[in-house]
Amino acid sequence: MRYAILLMGAPYSHQASHSALRFARALVARGHRLEAVFFYHDGVHNAARLAAPPQDEPHLVDAWADLSREHEVALQVCIAAALRRGLLDEREAARHGKDGISVAEPFELTGLGQLIDLGTRCDRLVTFGP
Amino acid sequence: MLLHVVNRSPANSRVYEQALSAMGPDDVLLLIEDGVQGALPQLVRYYAKIEGRLFALREDLEARGLLGRCAESVQVVDVDGFVTLTEEAERTVSWY
Repeated sequence: MRYAILLMGAPYSHQASHSALRFARALVARGHRLEAVFFYHDGVHNAARLAAPPQDEPHLVDAWADLSREHEVALQVCIAAALRRGLLDEREAARHGKDGISVAEPFELTGLGQLIDLGTRCDRLVTFGP
Repeated sequence: MLLHVVNRSPANSRVYEQALSAMGPDDVLLLIEDGVQGALPQLVRYYAKIEGRLFALREDLEARGLLGRCAESVQVVDVDGFVTLTEEAERTVSWY
């Protein structure tokens, strides 16, 4: 089946990111296709390029990036939620006159329309809230 | 059949009431994260209305030292079981 995940919890504040990641790994291990993870509300902090958690703790940002590369999962970040929280890619940093890039690749800033598209295109959409 | 997912303990949050009021006769409910507390014998009464349709996530029970302490009416599933529930359900509704 084709799945999408909607994640709305901030990393290290709520269990949502860990729950979503565990669910995502179980999905692909069972042979499902995970089309995308959509990061919304405080969930956008999962895309923080500069996250540096202690080495003996799970690195959520890297874990999402690894999942994306290994299983071709799109990591879509709501652009409106990201900009107001200081999460910018190169293009948005230039547009807003900021001198740093805070969104890690392969996360991509995208619009809410993508979430609607996932909801209609995928067989299942599973939400992990804060 | 819909799958409802609750991540709050009925001891701290009343979101379980909203989930229960939204549930159809064939729907099932999975407790995850702090929600697994609702599977304990002391708290499972809040879910009496849906006896036999209540599940709890094994990994979250284990992380809290609660594995083996659930009420008998609760079905314990691991994350693969969670995936299976989402396969079987038409849609998944999360309450938080």
